[in-house]
Amino acid sequence: MNPVLNIFILFLGGAILTYFAGRINKVLQSLLFLASVLVPAFLFYTQLSIGQSATFSVDGITLNWSLNYFGWLFSLIVLGLGAMAAIYAVSYMKGKQRLGTFYFNFILSIMSMTGILLSQDLISFFIFWEIMTWSSYLMTIYNGNKVQSIGIKYFVFSAIGAYAMLMAIVMVHSITGSFLIKDLINAYPTMQLGMQIWIPVLLLTGFAVKAAMMPLHVWAPGAYSNSPMAYTSVFSGALSKMGVYGMTIVFVTLINKIPQGIWFREVIAWMGGITAVIGTLWAIKQDDAKKLLAYSSVAQLGYIITGIAIGTELALLAGLFLAVMHALFKGTLFMVVGAVEKQTGTTNFTEVSGLIRKMPWTFFAALLSIIALAGIPPLGGFVGKWMLYESLITSNHYLLVIVIFFSSTAAFLYCYKFLFGFFLGQEEKEWSHVKEAPAAMVVPMVILSLLMFVLGTFPGILLSPINNGLQALGYTDSYKNLWETSVILNGWGNHVVLQPILYYIIAIFLFFVVFLTLKGYKNTRYVTTKDISSSGEIPKEDENLTFSENFYQPFFRAVEPVMRRQIDKFYKNLGEGLEALFEFMRRIYTGNGQTYAIYVIAFVVIMLLFGNYLLK
Amino acid sequence: MVGSPVLFIAIPLLAAFLIPLLGMIWKESVRIVPGLVLAYLLVLSVSLLQHVLAFGPIIEIIAGWKPPIGINLVFSPFSGFLVTLMLFLGLLVWAYSYRFKRNVEYEPALKYFLMLMMLITGSVGMTLTGDIFNMFVFIEITSISAYGLTSYYKERNSAEASFKYILLGSLASTFLLLAIMIIYSQLGTLNMADIATKMHLMKPGYKVASLIFFITALGIEAEIFPLNGWAPDAYAEAPGPVGAAFAGIVVKAAVYAVIRVIYTLFDLPGAYQFLIVIGIITMVIAETAAIRQEKLKRMLAYSSIGQMGLVLIAFGFGTKEGIYAALFIMFNHAIIKSLLFFSGSYLAYNSTEKNIADVSGMAKHLPLTSLLFALGAFAIIGLPPFAGFWSKLAVLTAAADSSLWLIIALVLAVSVVELVYYLRVVNRVYFFKKEEDMEPQKPTVNAMIVMLILGAIILLVGFYPDSVTGLLHKASSDLMDKSQYIQHVLSAR
Repeated sequence: MNPVLNIFILFLGGAILTYFAGRINKVLQSLLFLASVLVPAFLFYTQLSIGQSATFSVDGITLNWSLNYFGWLFSLIVLGLGAMAAIYAVSYMKGKQRLGTFYFNFILSIMSMTGILLSQDLISFFIFWEIMTWSSYLMTIYNGNKVQSIGIKYFVFSAIGAYAMLMAIVMVHSITGSFLIKDLINAYPTMQLGMQIWIPVLLLTGFAVKAAMMPLHVWAPGAYSNSPMAYTSVFSGALSKMGVYGMTIVFVTLINKIPQGIWFREVIAWMGGITAVIGTLWAIKQDDAKKLLAYSSVAQLGYIITGIAIGTELALLAGLFLAVMHALFKGTLFMVVGAVEKQTGTTNFTEVSGLIRKMPWTFFAALLSIIALAGIPPLGGFVGKWMLYESLITSNHYLLVIVIFFSSTAAFLYCYKFLFGFFLGQEEKEWSHVKEAPAAMVVPMVILSLLMFVLGTFPGILLSPINNGLQALGYTDSYKNLWETSVILNGWGNHVVLQPILYYIIAIFLFFVVFLTLKGYKNTRYVTTKDISSSGEIPKEDENLTFSENFYQPFFRAVEPVMRRQIDKFYKNLGEGLEALFEFMRRIYTGNGQTYAIYVIAFVVIMLLFGNYLLK
Repeated sequence: MVGSPVLFIAIPLLAAFLIPLLGMIWKESVRIVPGLVLAYLLVLSVSLLQHVLAFGPIIEIIAGWKPPIGINLVFSPFSGFLVTLMLFLGLLVWAYSYRFKRNVEYEPALKYFLMLMMLITGSVGMTLTGDIFNMFVFIEITSISAYGLTSYYKERNSAEASFKYILLGSLASTFLLLAIMIIYSQLGTLNMADIATKMHLMKPGYKVASLIFFITALGIEAEIFPLNGWAPDAYAEAPGPVGAAFAGIVVKAAVYAVIRVIYTLFDLPGAYQFLIVIGIITMVIAETAAIRQEKLKRMLAYSSIGQMGLVLIAFGFGTKEGIYAALFIMFNHAIIKSLLFFSGSYLAYNSTEKNIADVSGMAKHLPLTSLLFALGAFAIIGLPPFAGFWSKLAVLTAAADSSLWLIIALVLAVSVVELVYYLRVVNRVYFFKKEEDMEPQKPTVNAMIVMLILGAIILLVGFYPDSVTGLLHKASSDLMDKSQYIQHVLSAR
């Protein structure tokens, strides 16, 4: 049988078996779950070769699946992160209720994302897109909190996006008579201008929702923070990348082909920039780690969108590089939060502190991810951001650079808050019992962190698949002359020019650490946290010396006017207005038989008055 | 040939009137006989449908009077498909309500099954007949049994709902008679095929007036806004399975009648646009009204009306793709809405008010029923890979082929509204705390089997739509081909 179909069948069958296996044995269920994520992923990389395709015909529509380099690139995110998160999830979900539902939806999410990447026709793309939507929706409401607000908000936004996409799909079908993406790309340059505008607008709306682009991002903070953390790392890390995947295709294969594309590029790039700023500001304000990371995801996706929208060779590489990096570090960070949540029972910065000695490996993963997120060398985030800045400057988007730079700098504030809130600060008695998370949770986090390090040092490992992927979309080969376009990359492609300098700095730093530790080892005197004097007074045992509330108050006083205007409020008012309108509609049905009879008579009279129209 | 279409009317009518007599001998036969009859008719209609698909429509001439003078029944792919669907649903309704309300005594059970048989007979007759006066008779049979079923629970509210239904139903018969009268006075014939051939002879004024009266009369039964005032109350007050029968059988027959009149009898191009306009109004108002409902069955009723609006829009395109989409929605709606009514009745079984709030937290007590309800909700919203998706896609592609972009946008916007109110209920079932005085009621075995069959069909059509689309394509090309219909009927021997 065709390996493509095999993968789908394995995913689907695995999901169903896992769901029911819980009745028999929990361990068996977990093993089945792991198998149904890992085995298809393994088959994907061993059995599938580029260009391999499968077709399936339903209802006169040919569904066409095939693997190209671009899909392969994103499959690294989906299946790689998915596999890590699956291992993590088994340990994280131990002892929770309704495991079957969780596992089922987890596998279906991974399957649908794989399906999106393999789809070469719009219908199967849409089908998998919707399966992805509802399986992630069911995860969003898994905890049972705020299902009517957060859950429905997520689904409504997703549906608006998906239906916009569906409208574009039927438009394409009415013009080309085919659902194949290939045919859309071929026919696009010769379409009428109206269609040339509408099709990308509608498609981008669909993708922007998933990629949480302003002003369609309002679902994201709630949905990300409300899902189980083991899933959120996939949700924010991989699922949002499906929006990026679609956007890249739309930009590279459609928008860049028409002269009006410049407007799309500018508008979307700016929206990405504004998304980054908004997301960052709100992230700083959060006291809950989940919410903080959720807003931070929105912000980071803003950079990625900007990069892709700018569309120069360097910008595309930067955007896609950041996309992979974001999957790595945000996936890890959500896992970190999950580990903290599992061990302490809370994710609020104001409650937990000083976990660094209790959970050293978790701290290590968090530290590396935060460094990557903030864009500090030598981790991968630095390379990506550098390339993004450079691409913005070389394409003369100076104002946008300032916006992105502001957001990126402000991101340090929440980065620090995250590290400090959980891991640093005063150790409290309340948390003295806390232990390191189980190995099955720590190992995926550490593996992902190390990957960030590797990619930061050897970005060429990732840049060449990205380049292959872009070429598969018909983009020019940017790999050859790339090394002249960017300051940061040298001729061999595997190194960053600044890297040797960095190694020196690191080596010196490490030397000092080792030296000082060895030298000071004998003289070490262990102190407790309270073994200090502050303003000449010795603090009491129960006095709190670290503060994690109201961080950055002055900063907020400065940016408050910007933040007062919430898009969220606008949507809320819109929703309430609509409900009021619907209430009015409901009142048309008065429940009175006489009124209904009058309606009938009125209908007949009106029809008779305007009956002549029927003849036309 | 295995049997003749006349059996579809003769056997259930005979059975309906024999049930009381048989019941005197053996009480249980009141419940069993309708099932046997419906099962036999279903087998018959399936085999006839196969025959018809292979050899063309069967025209049954009653009592040797040839058309256009005598009454004839037409079992074509189009009507045959609907008849099969109705009988299938009828059988499921019967199986579901076989032990519905265990405490139901002999006499109410007798009335229930008797009226159910009449309801099915009337609807099937409406679909098969080739004569407008005959259609009137069948509509009356259907309506009268529907009134009775609406007020099945002898309560104030059901009586009121039934009364409203009677009020509008009598208006419907009046207007239908007016329309028939105009046509007969002008053309001197009642046979549909004959009318269709002579329609060009009629003066435009009469033509328009009779069409308007037809639409008004049939629109009342087909739940077209603003003629559908009876529907929410009737659905809400009738027993759950009857709601399914209304949505799946009666309304389908009425829509068939509307479509037959507009497509075959009349030749007014403006009527298609009218269908689109009235369909949009019906859909938008019903779906938006549904979101503000507090009672479960009432919500389902509005949703049902909304779906009928969508069907009318699809018929209004006037293209083969449009008809195909409309038929697909009708099929899906019949299956899915029945599942929703069936499972919803058990979720709110012990609630007197049937408020949506009363289904809260039922998932812990009735896991399978809740799952099936959720499946139905997901399917009717049109999420892939469930059945509803393919019909939604069909209607959108049909609209796109006619370049009706605004309608596509509107249909999709309404779908979002639909999604909200269904998800609110599903979330309630799964995540809210159970109301303390709500005792969950386990479905009976037969009810569960019926719901599982419907769920299986939703999944089957969702994963493999080809299982029905071939039939739908043939049925839709049958409706499009008006001249063939006329020729078949008038040349029948």
